[in-house]
Amino acid sequence: MKKSALLVFAGLMFVTVFTGCSKTENAITSFDDAQNAKIGVMTGSTGEAIAAAKFPNAQVKSFDDVMDSVAAMKSGQLDAVITAFPTAIQVSKLNPEFWYLPEPLQNEDTAIALKKGNDDLLATLNNIIDELKADGTLESMKNRWFKADLSPYKEMNITLPTEGKLLKIGVSATREPFSFVDKNGRVTGHDGELARIIGAKLQRPVEFSNMRFMALIPALQSGKVDMIVTGMTATDERRKSVDFTQPYFANAQVLFVKKASATSTMSLPFFKSIANSFHSNIIHEERYILILNGLKTTVLISVLATVFGTLLGALVCFMRMSKKTVLSLPAKIYISILRGTPVLVVLMLIFYVVFASINIDPVLVAIIAFGMNFAAYVAEIFRTGIEGVDKGQTEAGIAMGFSRVRTFFYIVLPQTVRRILPVYKGEFISLVKMTSIVGYIAVQDLTKASDIVRSRTFDAFFPLVMVAILYFLISWFLMQSLEYVERITDPKFKRRKVSNA
Amino acid sequence: MIKVEHLSKKFGDLVVLRDITIEIRKGEVISIIGPSGTGKSTFLRCLNLLDRPSSGSIYIDGIDILDQKTDVPKVRQKMNMVFQSFNLFSHLTSLENLTIGQTKLLRMSKKDAKDKSMELLKLVGLAEKADSFPDELSGGQKQRVAIARCLAMDPEIILFDEPTSALDPTMVSEVLSVIRRLAKDGMTMAIVTHEMDFARDVSNRVLYMDEGLIYEEGTPQQIFENPQKERTIAFINRIRSLNYHISSPDYDLYALNAEIEIFCEKQILPRKTRHNVLLLVEEMLQIYNPFLHSTILDMKLAYSEKKESLELVFENTGEAINPLDKKRLPDELGLRIINNLAESIIYQREDNKNRLTLMMRL
Repeated sequence: MKKSALLVFAGLMFVTVFTGCSKTENAITSFDDAQNAKIGVMTGSTGEAIAAAKFPNAQVKSFDDVMDSVAAMKSGQLDAVITAFPTAIQVSKLNPEFWYLPEPLQNEDTAIALKKGNDDLLATLNNIIDELKADGTLESMKNRWFKADLSPYKEMNITLPTEGKLLKIGVSATREPFSFVDKNGRVTGHDGELARIIGAKLQRPVEFSNMRFMALIPALQSGKVDMIVTGMTATDERRKSVDFTQPYFANAQVLFVKKASATSTMSLPFFKSIANSFHSNIIHEERYILILNGLKTTVLISVLATVFGTLLGALVCFMRMSKKTVLSLPAKIYISILRGTPVLVVLMLIFYVVFASINIDPVLVAIIAFGMNFAAYVAEIFRTGIEGVDKGQTEAGIAMGFSRVRTFFYIVLPQTVRRILPVYKGEFISLVKMTSIVGYIAVQDLTKASDIVRSRTFDAFFPLVMVAILYFLISWFLMQSLEYVERITDPKFKRRKVSNA
Repeated sequence: MIKVEHLSKKFGDLVVLRDITIEIRKGEVISIIGPSGTGKSTFLRCLNLLDRPSSGSIYIDGIDILDQKTDVPKVRQKMNMVFQSFNLFSHLTSLENLTIGQTKLLRMSKKDAKDKSMELLKLVGLAEKADSFPDELSGGQKQRVAIARCLAMDPEIILFDEPTSALDPTMVSEVLSVIRRLAKDGMTMAIVTHEMDFARDVSNRVLYMDEGLIYEEGTPQQIFENPQKERTIAFINRIRSLNYHISSPDYDLYALNAEIEIFCEKQILPRKTRHNVLLLVEEMLQIYNPFLHSTILDMKLAYSEKKESLELVFENTGEAINPLDKKRLPDELGLRIINNLAESIIYQREDNKNRLTLMMRL
């Protein structure tokens, strides 16, 4: 087991080193140079439209997050990325081999998004933005957050009320310096501060819901959040589905490219660069706490979803095996629907539709969604296991004088458990790995934690490799516990133990 | 002890048991014999309600077990069953197979159950296999453990459903001798079996079942030495037969020959016998040929495995004539061949029919 773990690690390192050693090609110095380039844009961002309009011949690739596109640029898969200039500044601070073309592609207004028809709140927010403009707060914020050096941010002290109606703020906290997660795990940045100022002015406590950028508007519409404050551009398209306040920041989209005389950070000696990555991704700002919390969440969701799913699966299996159509038909339908739908879709449906109006912990939603999915699979596993036990076993139990129920528990079940464990284990492991999508509903699991770290360090490989190893370790550890169950349910195990002793 | 009245069982449209009435008394050993598919096993399975009867009633010690209020699992504890396919609990050792019922159903202490189970395993000669799992035992050993498992529940009667059918011949005797021993100890048993010699010397009473009925019943002597009814006789003598019906002179001789050949092959008769049968039938039909336009001829070829003999019977309607009457025949060649092949030839006139019975040597 140790050997194979090492092998996996070595393999991943190998990939890291090779993809990291990128080729330096002809650099882009003007928009014309980029006409046939490979350009990265963010899904659902204004960059998509800009790329289509200004670079019709370019190969456009969509990414979920800036850090993914930066990682792609580092490994030479992209020539340029269209992004907002604050992000461009931020990335180039950490990656001196990149810069951006000073000429903006498009000027944009950054504003707060609200659910349509919320006119009172809209007017209040517009007033607040006016006040902030007038007293110079916005200007001071701009200077403190959008700066070109790596010195620590100075954050304003804001006292928030602890009582009152919760103000739920939708953010995508992988957008430094607009919104990001600091070393204490709280959402901060220019927009984090803005949201707190608004909370203080409205005399309401603030709660941040950190989710993927493209999940923000659906969350706003379904009432999961009250407003989006995360450097969102007020586009005409978005105006169709949400309302925007007046702009609080004048943004611009720029073309982010590689410098002509780029010296890759990867040119550092291998171990030195690993040590650097280790420090910046794990030690710096105590990021390991973030990773550990993510790890805890992943384990929590996996284990509870398995328990819930197994119990539900047993119930579904019981119904499925019933001779009564009233019971077996719903079970059949349940199984085919849940097995035929991607778990991500189920997860989003439960979060945004079923529990739309209820304030429910997303972790609970994740446990329910994964449990339901797991149940559909294990119900069928249980059924084949039970049906695989020879009918004669049941008959012998009944003929001996056991009731049907007791025959099942004393005779059939112990034989079933042994039979199904190997398949069950596989299903369980795939559940653990599937939980990596919970970031979509604002749960900070292991994957999301690594996304947050990557959004700060713009180092794709180290966090990814680390997360891969952590997933492997979780699976391995949980697998060991299931294998233990498998061993003790092996009837011959007892005897072997006795004969060994 | 067990009283069955007008028991019948249908599976859908298929009637397996028609109308069974019987009483089993304490200490009796009853063998149930009969051809396959005549409901012997179903009858046994109806007794402990593994199959629920379609109608009729079953009383065990005066309790109607088909009554909704009866605690059937409780009744089953007194009436355990040994299966053709053993059905030992495959996740338990031999010993645990015995103790599980005692501890869970009879609420005996683990120690008592273990002691008693070891005794019983000793009784069936398998004490040293106490810690073996079923898949480590031979068929005969499995069946003996299964019998011990029944005994562990202190049953008043044991039902055996073809206990040796799934065993290879070398293991049959070890199982039968265990059952013999139980019989000697006075255990009440009902045994469905194909082992005729065993049935004859172990049981007090033999039931011959056929067509979903208890077709004939009696002591082993009555059934095995002097069966009264036709099917019983055929079964006891292990007789199998082929019938052929000829109603016109244009019958298909080749089809008939093919059927005879298939029949002989099935009974594994020697090639020479087969040849002789074909020759004999052909000569006989030659002689019958002049009658065929006016009468109907029934031919029956019967083979008795027990007596190792072949019997060829011809029956025809019409006036009383022995077709083999020398005076009637144009020449004696055919008759000579027939006399040569047949050991004996008997002519009878019965029910307005002429019957010729020819016995053949094998």
